[in-house]
Order: sequence, then structure tokens, then C-alpha cells
Amino acid sequence: MEMLHYDFMQRAFLAGALIALVASALGVYLMLRRQALMADMLSHVSLAGIAAGAYLHWNPTLTGFAIAIVGAVAVEYVRRSYKTYSEISVAIIMVGGLSSAVIIMNLNQSVNKSFSSYLFGSVVAVNRTELILMLAVSVLAALFFILMRRPLYQMTFDEDTAKTSGLPVNWLSLAFSVVTGMIVAAAMPIVGVLLVSSLVVLPAALAIRLASSFSLAILFSMAFGLGGVWSGLAASYAFSTPPGATIALILLAILLVGIGLKKGALRAAKRRSRQGHAEGAPDAPYEAARFSSSARVADKGESRG
Amino acid sequence: MALVAMEQVVFGYDDVPSLEDVNLEIGAGEFVAVTGPNGASKTTLLRLMMGLLAPWKGKISLASRSEGGGKLTIGYVPQQIAAFNSGFPSSILEFVRSGRYTKGSWLRKLNARDHEQTELALKQVGMWHLRYRKIGELSGGQKQRICIARALAMEPDLLVLDEPTTGMDRESRFGFYELMKTQTEQYGRTVVMVTHGLDEVSPYLDRIIELERKEDGKWRCCTTTSCRGHFSPVRS
Repeated sequence: MEMLHYDFMQRAFLAGALIALVASALGVYLMLRRQALMADMLSHVSLAGIAAGAYLHWNPTLTGFAIAIVGAVAVEYVRRSYKTYSEISVAIIMVGGLSSAVIIMNLNQSVNKSFSSYLFGSVVAVNRTELILMLAVSVLAALFFILMRRPLYQMTFDEDTAKTSGLPVNWLSLAFSVVTGMIVAAAMPIVGVLLVSSLVVLPAALAIRLASSFSLAILFSMAFGLGGVWSGLAASYAFSTPPGATIALILLAILLVGIGLKKGALRAAKRRSRQGHAEGAPDAPYEAARFSSSARVADKGESRG
Repeated sequence: MALVAMEQVVFGYDDVPSLEDVNLEIGAGEFVAVTGPNGASKTTLLRLMMGLLAPWKGKISLASRSEGGGKLTIGYVPQQIAAFNSGFPSSILEFVRSGRYTKGSWLRKLNARDHEQTELALKQVGMWHLRYRKIGELSGGQKQRICIARALAMEPDLLVLDEPTTGMDRESRFGFYELMKTQTEQYGRTVVMVTHGLDEVSPYLDRIIELERKEDGKWRCCTTTSCRGHFSPVRS
């Protein structure tokens, strides 16, 4: 715990925790909406904003933040034209963002060097402005995910049925895109362009495989994200490795171990089932599913599940 | 009063009209089948009815209020819903319960009626005993059932089902038709269902809306046939 005596490490753990919690929750929705690469795309688009900010001598963090939100809104509109293949919208906007970033950076060769901190992140060098921005974004995102959890569940499952049940899906989807842009833009200076998607994708990928309910998937994802970030920071301090890359590798390891354990548990369950058959244990009675016009709610309390 | 009305509706894709001169009315409490050959735009007709598509020309009215005065609730079971994201991390109970989310505020606590309607809907489709299973573990037919259950849990004024009996065995299909008939007779709900199995379902229907080709083979329009009085609901 010696590392926590340093102010910069305290800020890193706090900023890392905030990013881990909101990015991991966001990841579950993005993956289920087939937009897993949205965070990656927005971080590249945001890079164009940072380059423009540096070129125009404005605050690059804020211009990056603004352009990421514009990019998120643009994705939402392009997505409506390619409804079945929503990943196409991500690819289209990413091409625009990345090529703009390269051209603007080329115009301003003197600041090229500082872009490495945006590419790879600097969680241990997070400054007060970035921390306050991250805190504000985290509070807004948490409120959005908590207050909108039911509409988001419906929209994530199927937009058409959500629309017919009266949800303002277009507005909700737009708001979701704006929140996504804000989270990615706030996280990028801290974990970097190249690693921001690891925080969004990896914890959610494992949580979706393990959780038996939607709420549990969100909680699992947040726990894996937080565990990965904190252990990555500690490992980075102990072994003097780059923090962003260490966090990403630990998240990857958590994903692989988690999938391995799940597969092992499934194999063990199958083996037990086969042994049961061999020893003549009776099968659970098969109950056929039948439609019933005369079904009734029987016992009070049972319906709460 | 008509729950759904279409007047001189024209709609198509990529500048090619697929529906033309569509005129129809569906009243509250009717059990109506929409039928026609493959590619006849049956699904398009349903999507137009519910406002998911906007017509090129003509007028579509969907009542905004139910006969009881409350906001009109639509329970929609799309075609191919059985192919939904197999990895979606949700239990059957959680999924069907989500049909209750549209009743009142998004933030309200679910009450006893919500839990009872969820239980009833799951029992009506014969899936109550599997309620804790993950939806990704279900077969195509079971997924279809829980989607029907979610629509029923909404206590909808209008139930719109796009080929809901695809993949169901004969006994299940008749059980399903009876359940839909009960929805109209017992609860006054309107059921609109796309189907190819008219021979089986006709005894239960009030009306058939048939999409057919015009003489030039290019355009399609509607004819409606009243079933009431022509068939007796005898289950063979």
C-alpha cells in the first residue's frame, strides 16, 4: 500500500475506478447493440478534436470531448441508414475521424510528440481538470444508466418492439450515443486511444457470458473492470510497466481465465450428468410447454419469482 | 370505432411501390388474419399499421386511446424474433416482466399486479416452469413463446403477431389460436396476425385480410373476407 502514499497514485486509482465503473457498464449495452467498436471509433474521432485544439491553440481535452460527442451523434444518424449492419456506421465515422486527425496533426508537426500521451494514456499523470471532468461525466453517466435502465433494456433487446410499446427510441438512442461520446472522451486522456476500447469491451464480454440476468451482467462487468484497473495499476507500479497496457493485459487475462473457468464448469456438469445416467439416476421429469387459455395465477408470492 | 384505419395507402422500397390502394379498417376486439403469398408485403402492412413505417401516400390512423380511455398499448411479436441475440444476458422472468415496464412511470416499483400478469402470461404460453432459465439457452420455439408472453404481459389493446406459429407443432398451434380467441372474447383485445395457415385458424377468426396482386402483376392491394358466421370453431 506504499504506492497510495503518493498523490499521483491516489488520483490514478480514483480516476481509474471512475472510468472502470462507467465504461464497463456502457460496454454491456454497446456489445448487445452490436456496437462493440464504438468506443474505439470515438477515441479516434476524439483524436481529430485534440489535434484541432492543439492546432488552434484551444484546450485539446475540451475540443476532443466536443468532437467525440459530435462523432457519437453522427454515428447515430448514419446507423439509422444502415439499421441491420450498425457496425458500418462505426467504420464510416472512424475513417472520417482518423483521416482528419492525421491531416491536422501533419499541419502542426511541432505538437506531434505530445500525441503519444493521448495514444497510450497517462493514468498516473492525470491532472486535476481531467479528474474533475471524469467525475462529472461519471455522475451524469451513472444517473443516465440508473434512471433509464428499463427503457435501455427494452431498446437494447429490440428497437422495433420498444418503439411500438411507446418508448421514444430515437431520442433515447441519441442520448445513449451522447453519453457514450462523453465517457470515451473523458476516459481517453487517462487510458489512451488505443486502450479505451479494452475497458469497454473486455469486462462486458466476460460478464455477458457469465451472468444469468441483465442486472447481474452490468454488475459483473463493473466488478471485472474495477478489478482489472486497480490490479493493473498496482502491477504497473510494482513492475514499472506502462499502466494503460498493463491494465489492458490484465483485463484480457481476466477474460481468458473467466471463459476457461466457465467452460470447465460446463464440462464438469456434463460429466456429472453422464455419470448420473450410467448409475441409473432418473431424469428430471420432462414438462412439455403447452398454451393454455385457462391459465390462472395460483399462489400468492410465487409470481415474484 | 376503428382501432386501425388505412385509406388509399401507398408504400414501397427504393422507389418501387410494394403496396398500393390499401384500404382497411380493424375494429376493437376483432381477431384478424393477414395473409398473402411470400413477398406480398404482409410484414410491411403490419409495420405501417403500428407507425414503424410512414406511407408514401394515403392516411393511416391508429387510435391513441383504448376504449377504456387509457393510452393505447401495442404488444408486437415480430417475425424472426426467435433468431434474436442468443447471448442476451437475461432470464425468462426478467424478459417477460419487461413487458410491464411501459405501464406507468419508468421508475415506479413493480407491484403485485405486474408480478401476477407476468406469471399469468408465462403460464399461458406454458413457460412458467422454465422462468429462471437464460433466454439464450432456449430453442427457437421457446423463444417465440416468451416473446408472445412478453406481449401478453403488457395487457395490450392491440396484439400484432407476425407469423407467430412458425415452427410450432399442430397441438401448439391450436392451443395458440384458442389463446388468441380468448384474448379477444374475454379481454376485448384486438389481435392482428400474419399467417399462412388459414385452413387451421379460420374457425377462430373474425376476418381475413388478403394481400393480392393486381392484374398487371406489379401492385398489391387488400381484400377482406368476413369469417364470422361462415365457420364454426371446431378443433380437428
